[in-house]
Amino acid sequence: MTEATTTNAAGVAGAMTGASLLQAPILQAVNVTKSFTQADSGADSGDGAPTQALKGVSLSVAPGEFVSIVGRSGSGKSTFLSVLSTLLKPDSGTLAYNGQDLTTASEAEIDALRHGDFAVIFQFHYLLPYLTALENTLLPFMRGLRPVSGAQRRRAQECLERVGLVDKGHRLPGQLSGGEQQRVAIARALVKDARILFADEPTGSLDSATGATVMELLGQIHADGLSVVMVTHNEQYAGLADRVVRMADGLVV
Amino acid sequence: MNILTIALRNARKKWVRTLLLLLVFTLGVVSIVSLNFVSRVVGEGLEKKLVSFGANILVSPRSEKLTVSYGGFALGDMLFDVTYLDEKDTLAKIDAIELRKNVSVIAPKLVVMDRVQGTAVAIVGVRFAQEKQLKGYWLAEQGALPGEEPAEAAAKLAARAPADGEHQAMAPANATAPVMATAPVPASSPARSPELAPAVHKPTGPHESAVLVGSAAAAKLGLKLGDRVPLGHGHLVVTGILAATGSEDDNVLLADLSFVQKATDRPGKANFVEVAALCSACPIEDIVTQIAAALPGVEIKTLRNIVEQRMYSVLFVKKLILSVSLVILLTGCSMVGISMLSAVNERKKEIGILRSLGFSRRAVFSIFCAEAASIGLLAGLTGYLLGYAVSFRILAALDMAEGAVLSFEPLHLAATALILALLTSLASLVPAWKAAAIEPSEALVTL
Repeated sequence: MTEATTTNAAGVAGAMTGASLLQAPILQAVNVTKSFTQADSGADSGDGAPTQALKGVSLSVAPGEFVSIVGRSGSGKSTFLSVLSTLLKPDSGTLAYNGQDLTTASEAEIDALRHGDFAVIFQFHYLLPYLTALENTLLPFMRGLRPVSGAQRRRAQECLERVGLVDKGHRLPGQLSGGEQQRVAIARALVKDARILFADEPTGSLDSATGATVMELLGQIHADGLSVVMVTHNEQYAGLADRVVRMADGLVV
Repeated sequence: MNILTIALRNARKKWVRTLLLLLVFTLGVVSIVSLNFVSRVVGEGLEKKLVSFGANILVSPRSEKLTVSYGGFALGDMLFDVTYLDEKDTLAKIDAIELRKNVSVIAPKLVVMDRVQGTAVAIVGVRFAQEKQLKGYWLAEQGALPGEEPAEAAAKLAARAPADGEHQAMAPANATAPVMATAPVPASSPARSPELAPAVHKPTGPHESAVLVGSAAAAKLGLKLGDRVPLGHGHLVVTGILAATGSEDDNVLLADLSFVQKATDRPGKANFVEVAALCSACPIEDIVTQIAAALPGVEIKTLRNIVEQRMYSVLFVKKLILSVSLVILLTGCSMVGISMLSAVNERKKEIGILRSLGFSRRAVFSIFCAEAASIGLLAGLTGYLLGYAVSFRILAALDMAEGAVLSFEPLHLAATALILALLTSLASLVPAWKAAAIEPSEALVTL
C-alpha cells in the first residue's frame, strides 16, 4: 500500500491546510485496485491479460483540502479520480466518505451522494447541447417531475454570476466558447452545494488564458471551504493545490 | 422545468428524427382512425341494407305439429291448438326490451287461405310501412306499392332497370319458397310508364282495401290492376303487382293487416311477428333472450344462418380493420424501438452526465419513455383529428358521405392519444432499459 503524502501547500488556501489535516478525512481510499479487460477499455497489456490501472492506491482528503493528482498519461490518475468520485467501482480496497464505506453502499445511496455532496467536472465539460447555460446549471434539480423552484433558479443565476456568465444564461452550449462551457460545468457543480469537487483535467481542452481563469475559479471555490480533488497534467496548476499526489504505473509515487 | 424538459428538449433538438417518427405514427393513427370511422359507417350501412333483406327473428305462438300418414296415405302436417298472437300486446312487449334500439323492424303478419277464381292462395295481412322497411327490394312491376305514387314506383323500377339481374340476386337469404323464374320487365314496357297506365278501379269505402299481388300469384290467378278479390266480409282491390323477388312474396297476396283481421273476424290477431334485429356490437342471442323473457309461452326462432351471414359481413370488415391497424401499430412501434435504440447509443455521454449528477437508473429510464410517450401522445392527437377529417374524404370518394354521421368524441380523442402514448412507451422499454443500464464510467471516463 502506498499512502499519498503532502508535498507542499503553495498557493490558494494554503492557510487552511494545517487545520484541515487535523480533521478526520472527508474522503478516504485505501489500497484501491482496478483493472480493465479489453472489453472495458479497448486496450490491454498486449497478451490478452487485463490491464491493471490501479495497483493498490490510498489517499485521504481532509475537509476543505485541495489535492492535485499528477502523472503521465496511463499512470492511472483519471481512473483513480473516477473511483474516488464513485463513477467507477474499484476491484478491491475501500473507499469511505465521512466514514461511510462506499464500496458496500447501495445504488440509491451512491445516487444521493452524486446528487448531493459530490460534484464532478470533466475535461470536455459535457453539457447537454439542447439546454441553455441556465438550464444546464439547473440540471441537478431536474431529476424528477417536481418543477424547478424559484429559489433553485435564483441559486443557478448566482452560480452563473459567480463564473461570470450571468448574461449568457440563455445561450446554448454551442453558442459558448470552450472556456465558457467549462465555467457553466463549474456552475452546475456549484449549484447543489456539494462538499467535494472532483475535477478531471478541467483545463485540458482550454488555452492557457482560459485555463488560468478556470483555475482561479477553482481556487475561489476551494477558498469557500469546498474540498477539491483535481487531476491535471499541468504542474503549474497542480502547484496551486494544498497537496500534490504523483502517480505512475497505477501507484502513488 | 423538470425531467420531462430533458425529454422534450432532446426531441426538439433531434427534430428530423422526431418529425419522421411523428409522421409515421400520425399516418398510422390516421389510417386506423379513418378506417375505423369508415368501417363503422360502412358497417352501419351494411346493417341497414341487410335489414332490408328480411327479418332474422321469428316470433310465433307455440303450437304442436304432427305429420300424419296412414296406410300409405299422407295427410300432411296437422297443427293442434292453432293460436294467434295478440298483435298489440306482442308488439308492446317487444318494444319494451332492453335492446330495443337494436331492433329495427317489428312486422306482424296474419296469414289466411282463400280461393281466388277457384285457386287456393295465401293472403297475408301486413303492416305495409314496416314491411317495406323489411323488404327494401320490393318493386312494383305494375301499379304501386301501398303508400307510393305510381310515378314514384315507375321511377324506382326504371332506376333498377339496368340492374335487373341485381334485384333478382337481392332475394332474401331466408327465402325458402321455390323461386319462380320470371323474366325481368323490359325498360320500355308500357307498364313502367305511369302516363300509359290504364285507369283502374281503386279501393273505396271500409269494405275495400288495396292488395299487392306477388308476380307468380298474379300470373297464376290472372290478376291485373283494378281486379277485385273477395275476402271474408270485404273485397281486396289489386293496386300493385310486385316484380319478381325470388321469395315467398311472389306467391301470395299482401293486404293491410287491419283489413284482413276485420274481414276474417280475427281482430287484433297475428300468426307471427317478424323481427329484424342486427347489431355489430351485441350478440343477436341477447335480443332473442330478452324477447323470450318478455313473451313467455311464445316460440322464438332465430334464423341463425341469416344472422350469422349478416354478422359475418359486418365482422369481416371489422376484423380486417383490426388486422390492418395492428400491422400499422406494430410497424410504428418497431420504428420507435429501433430509433430509440440508436438514440441510446448516440446519447451515452448524456446518460453518463445525468448519472454523474445523481440521476437514478429509473430517472434515465423515464426520460427515454417520456420522449417516446410524447411522440405517441402528439401522434395520437393529430392522427385522430386528421383521421376524422380524412374519413369524410374517403366516404365522399366511396359515395357514402350522404347521410353518414361521424360523431367527434373528445373521449375517443383522449383515449387514442393515451393509448398511443402507452404503446410508444412500451415500444421504448428495451432501449430505455439499455439506457438505464449504462454506467457513468462507460460513458464519461477516459480509461
